[in-house]
Amino acid sequence: MGDAVEEATRARLRRGLRVATLLIALVIVGGLGLTNLLHHLDRYEWPLTQFAALGLLAVVLTGEAVLLVRRRSWDRLRLPAIAVVLAASMLSYATLPDGRTSTTVDWIFGAANWVGVVVLLDRPLRVIVSFLIAHELTALLNLLVLEGSSRQALARFATGSVTVIGFPLCVAVVAGILHGLSAAAAASREEIERVRVAEAVAAEFHRRRQQRFAELSATTVPLLEGLADGSLRPEDPAVQRRSAIEAARMRRLFAETDSVADPLLHELRHCVDVADRRGVVVELDARGQWPAPPVAVRRDLTEAVVIMLATAASRARVTVTGGAGLVSVSVVADCGEVSVPSPATPGVRVEALQNDETVWMEAQWQPTN
Amino acid sequence: MATDELITAVIVDDHTAIAAGVRFWCSQAVPPIELIDAGDRLADVWTGPGGEADVVIFDLELVPRRPDFGELRRLVDNGRRVIVYSQHTDDATAIKCVDLGALAYLTKREGPEHLVPAIRAAARGEPYTGPSLSGAIIADDSPDRPRLSQRETEVLRAWFVSSSKDLVAAKLNITVKTVDTYITRVRIKYANAGRAARTKSELVGRALDDGVITLAELNEPIL
Repeated sequence: MGDAVEEATRARLRRGLRVATLLIALVIVGGLGLTNLLHHLDRYEWPLTQFAALGLLAVVLTGEAVLLVRRRSWDRLRLPAIAVVLAASMLSYATLPDGRTSTTVDWIFGAANWVGVVVLLDRPLRVIVSFLIAHELTALLNLLVLEGSSRQALARFATGSVTVIGFPLCVAVVAGILHGLSAAAAASREEIERVRVAEAVAAEFHRRRQQRFAELSATTVPLLEGLADGSLRPEDPAVQRRSAIEAARMRRLFAETDSVADPLLHELRHCVDVADRRGVVVELDARGQWPAPPVAVRRDLTEAVVIMLATAASRARVTVTGGAGLVSVSVVADCGEVSVPSPATPGVRVEALQNDETVWMEAQWQPTN
Repeated sequence: MATDELITAVIVDDHTAIAAGVRFWCSQAVPPIELIDAGDRLADVWTGPGGEADVVIFDLELVPRRPDFGELRRLVDNGRRVIVYSQHTDDATAIKCVDLGALAYLTKREGPEHLVPAIRAAARGEPYTGPSLSGAIIADDSPDRPRLSQRETEVLRAWFVSSSKDLVAAKLNITVKTVDTYITRVRIKYANAGRAARTKSELVGRALDDGVITLAELNEPIL
């Protein structure tokens, strides 16, 4: 199942639960609460305050309906909404006739709890429990402080609380489980993703190592084999030159995987370093800006430098000039005869110019895009 | 001044090794160049034997990381022929020195093969454009840069890249003299732009007299 489908399913479930809870609250407040209120209207000292409390609850429920339609959550309005619900309770209790807590006259006892749950449905279970306790305490406080408790009243209160706390709690628990399930699903999906990425990275590393080894095997391995079996003599200048070229190629290969701002210059510095160790004085100078060429192009551009520096007698000048349309790597060195490398990628051109002992080789790349 | 007369140059540089090296190069030059070492004392450039020297070799950063453009401007405004000899290789500094009227801008990586010809050129009141300055010019993308022809850019780039006029000539199938002409034309265009300075207007005037460049070419609109 794709992420999008999963997410859509979860969103639908959450929304369904929200709609159901809102409907329950509407039925309880608008049906049960209002019926009880109208039924006992003559018993209230100040009926208007009871209607005001009902109005407050209605405002919160309307708010939820609007948010539900606009697919939004309470966010910053949540706290004020809960305050409104608790205020409605207190208003109702303050004007409730004595000895009527948790009877049908006390319509708000079984109504405000649902309104609170509606607002807090997507919060953790402990938040809803805290609200329900606060709701209970409001009623209990009224019972103890304003009315003076009798055993009978307390027993009635306890019985009433079972439904007042129990049913909303059931809904809250279901919502909590639903949340937990989505979180667990998301976590396990992330874990699967992580393992897959790690596998892909390992495979890519392996592939690159094999590729690098294959690249070296064409030129470096025969040289090493020749040195090992004695068919190539280390004191032979030609063998020394081949070794210098292979050393520079290997350095370049290692430098290719470094992540740097300018890979071309970075790799050139590594090639220059090999020549430096041979005692060749090398100047490296660069001017302009250029896009980073792909690895294959960089190899073609630096190959002339690798070959020339390996054969340079005493000094060399390596320069990079470039703009958006042309990158040029140029090397001038006193290296006598050298073979001009033939580039492997299209778009790269290598030119050589010989003037006495000095050779000037220039590799140019025109990005085609 | 006549070319067979002894050229004198004064060097201001706080590094004694640099001054000693330049003194050696000058004594080895044919004909030799007389060098006065002012050390890090700018006053010695203005008074005494240093004040009489034909060419001033000026270390732009006597105080590290604070290029003294003000002193360069004063020298140029007093008609001194200045070669800026700097360890700096950044392009903006090079262009700025040329704009202020320095006849040459060389980095300390550029050795006697550039410094000695630069001193001789400066003694004649002519510019010398080394590879690093050429690099700075080809990389110059400021909005008020002078407009260079394609060939001029080509020559300048080849000179920066190869550091050898023989190679440039061979590569582009032109003579070394033509290479020099192209490089000079670029410098004249730069001398004609930006801040007014006596050395710069002299360069432009002489180039027009010699026909190195025409007035029309100089007044081409900026790219």
